[in-house]
Amino acid sequence: EETYTWKVQSHWPGSSSSYEDSLVRLQKILEERTDGRLELELYEAGSLFKAKEIFNAVSRGILEMGTISPSYAQDKITLAGIASGLPFAFRNVWEAAYFHQGLGFEQMLRDEAAEYGVYWATDKVYPTEMVVKQPINSWADFTKLKIRSSGALQTFLTEAGAAASYIPGGELYTALDSGIVDGAHWGASQGAFSMGLYEVAKYHVQPALNIAGTDVIIVSQKALDKLPEDMQNIVKQALDEQFWFRTNEYQYKERITLAKAINEHGVQVNTLPDDVQDRLTQTAQKLWDEEGKRSDNAKKALDMLKDYLSELGYL
Amino acid sequence: MGVLTAFMRGVTRLNEVIGRGIALIVFAMFAFLIMEVAFRYLFNSPTVWTNELTQMLFGIYAVMSGGYIMAHRGHVNVDLLHSHLSPRGQAILDILTSVVFFIFTLALLYFGYDMASESIASWETSYSAWNPPIWPVKAAIPLGTGLLVLQGIVKLLEDIAVAFNLSYYTPETQEDEKGEAL
Amino acid sequence: MSIEVLTLLFFGSLLFFLLLGLPLAFVLGGVSVVFLYFTWGFDSFYMVSSQIWGTMESFTLVAIPLFVFMAMILERTGVAKDLYRMMHLWCGGLRGGLAIGTLGICAVFAAMVGISGAAVVAMGTIALPSMLERGYDKKMALGVINTGGGWGILIPPSILMILYALITGVSVGKMFAAGIMPGILLMVLTAIYILVRSHLQPELAPALPKEERGTWPEKLRALRAVLLPIGVVIMVLGSIIGGITTPTEAAAMGVLGALISAAVYRQFKWSVLQEAAIRTFKLTGMIMWILFAAHAFSAAYQSMGAQDLIESLMNMIPGGPWGIIIAMMLIVFLLAMVLDPVGIMLITLPVFMPIVESLGFDPIWFGILFVINMEIGYMTPPFGFNLFYLKGVVPPGITMKDIYSSIIPFVIVEIVGLALIMIFPEIATYLPDLFF
Ligand code: NA
Ligand code: NA
Repeated sequence: EETYTWKVQSHWPGSSSSYEDSLVRLQKILEERTDGRLELELYEAGSLFKAKEIFNAVSRGILEMGTISPSYAQDKITLAGIASGLPFAFRNVWEAAYFHQGLGFEQMLRDEAAEYGVYWATDKVYPTEMVVKQPINSWADFTKLKIRSSGALQTFLTEAGAAASYIPGGELYTALDSGIVDGAHWGASQGAFSMGLYEVAKYHVQPALNIAGTDVIIVSQKALDKLPEDMQNIVKQALDEQFWFRTNEYQYKERITLAKAINEHGVQVNTLPDDVQDRLTQTAQKLWDEEGKRSDNAKKALDMLKDYLSELGYL
Repeated sequence: MGVLTAFMRGVTRLNEVIGRGIALIVFAMFAFLIMEVAFRYLFNSPTVWTNELTQMLFGIYAVMSGGYIMAHRGHVNVDLLHSHLSPRGQAILDILTSVVFFIFTLALLYFGYDMASESIASWETSYSAWNPPIWPVKAAIPLGTGLLVLQGIVKLLEDIAVAFNLSYYTPETQEDEKGEAL
Repeated sequence: MSIEVLTLLFFGSLLFFLLLGLPLAFVLGGVSVVFLYFTWGFDSFYMVSSQIWGTMESFTLVAIPLFVFMAMILERTGVAKDLYRMMHLWCGGLRGGLAIGTLGICAVFAAMVGISGAAVVAMGTIALPSMLERGYDKKMALGVINTGGGWGILIPPSILMILYALITGVSVGKMFAAGIMPGILLMVLTAIYILVRSHLQPELAPALPKEERGTWPEKLRALRAVLLPIGVVIMVLGSIIGGITTPTEAAAMGVLGALISAAVYRQFKWSVLQEAAIRTFKLTGMIMWILFAAHAFSAAYQSMGAQDLIESLMNMIPGGPWGIIIAMMLIVFLLAMVLDPVGIMLITLPVFMPIVESLGFDPIWFGILFVINMEIGYMTPPFGFNLFYLKGVVPPGITMKDIYSSIIPFVIVEIVGLALIMIFPEIATYLPDLFF
């Protein structure tokens, strides 16, 4: 029987827990279920293509598979802004999971990606949380902050009154250590831990800035079509399962990592005061509407989201 | 002055003018970074645009340098064998190795053009907080590579002239020697 | 075709075209394209342009033109010259004094930048002409700059160490602290080598004749020349340590300092600045085109299965834990001749780290060995990038052969340093254990 080898470019560095937990897991499962007929050849972040180029490479069929963050495909996928997380929308991870799989947001993403020959499968939904050097106990504390941020959250934090700037990952530790910035977000506790941020910033801020499907596995449709029917189904099923398994596992790992940070680095959880949360939510809602303007599809998704949040009693 | 000579002088002149212009971008990069430091440190209000603009300028600066440096013989090589050869021998050797040069630069030109035209077709922006258009920076890849290819053709024509003693080019007009003190 | 055969062909053709005199950038790029065609097909060339785009987008590289620009201004305005005259007056009585002074400046420069390349080019501009003018042997001068220029990745801040920490999960702060003493050790060892060598062969690094050594008032007056460079250093280091700028932004502070120095020297003129800008453009462009091609090259090599090769190599190594560590060092050293640091780390670390940890070695200590090996790789013929960067700034008449042969004793000194750190791991681990 014919065997297939897929080149898979990840946007995770090898040390990121997701590289092992998401990709290596998928590699093992696919190999097992196809009796070794499908082999994934994994490449760590930056090996063949830089993160922002992975979508293009998969779309062109140069790579058979890749992992991305939706924000890397913003120029093609009009829903990417919503997929990578509207600030202060969901309050629990399960809400975001249901939005994707129960309400059909995942299918909307999949349809948009299909126009570029890409099969879209969200790897998991999870929170993005901030770490800061000094606790935020009041609105004044928040607006004083200089925060390392990126993308939509950078706009959000700036609009809300903090001073958000972009600093590349390689300089983040130094910047936080020397006080160029007072806070940063890099995933949530696992991300902060892997970047060594807890060494220099001792307060872990909750609630999350956003909760979203920030990691996505993408497959070249061309490569998928080349597989025999049974293998295509195996791949798609494995990806569907992956979402639920990883979303749950990630939450578990977030919690134990935070516990480790608390024990080993003396980190404290800094829950934002209610008035700060309220003001942040107000700012956030103004920004949501901007995302809705990107396309009819985005408008539809945003309306769906707002209805859902009203239903949950948050709006 | 024949067509070939005119072409060669024209390309070299073009790279010279563009290079001298692009070289000044270093002042802008310096100014924007200092501005960012001042805004953030003195006024506690970092901008969303300075670092990204600096990076975009740097990309253009770097990729547009190829042809200018080629014209000045500034792409560094190993001269172990060259230094034992006559000018004619060097020229013949360079004609042979230019195949590798053209394979690289033409592949880059083709796919750089592909990448840039895709970017221009959607007027691609960076989707950062500032969200500037980035298609001009991507367009600089085929442009810069194109200038490098042109200068590479000039170099090839020079080498052919030297190797076969043709009259459209005399080495005396050449920029000083190799390894010119930059 | 197996990866072993591919590797031989890949690196063999690299060496072949390099020796035929094609510039390094085009050798790396052209060979990558040809191999990509045969292993992955025509469409994969997209990776080459994609890698170039990625390199253009790398913010930390912005420090290169700025630090080079800083050096060019300091050189053009005469600040650098006065600094060397001062050094000559003060330690000119010592054979090799200028070379040792240069090492000191290199160390300070290394503390300001997190990448090599900029440092080699900058020091080549500032230090080389001054040493040659004063009768130093060209190989001695070249070797000093090539060695000292490479310390930027060992002495903190270091982008490489951050990357190592990111990939292996060790603390960045500990890595930085761990680099300090090895950096000083290498400096001391190199200084000892210079002293011994110039004692044996005074003509290589001549002392200033007695009558030219200057009187005390002269010496004191010459001290003014260090004020401006010290001011520049304070601006750069102070703004990094003081939390005012990131290491990349600090490069702009260096340019600001150099511009102020130019004004003090009454050289703040358009002609001077424009010339500095053009030289900066040529040198930065040369470095960047090498990096463009190097990134494409390492991506191509990885796509061919480089990691499998390293894995199978590791399985073949006999000789117990130390044999394995030494084999790893050798692999890093060899790869460092042709690949960029990111590429080397991506290929080797995922294979090395589990082994290093299971053997019970300290990953911080291993990280320092790793960085030093990379540094040695960058200064070793035939490919070492720093050799090419240096060639870009040397005056006419200095050939690649001079540069190649200049490096041998200095590489030996660095290897001695490396061996000392392997035997006495405390050299690397003492400070991180103390601070954290
Ligand atoms: Na450094
Ligand atoms: Na190298």
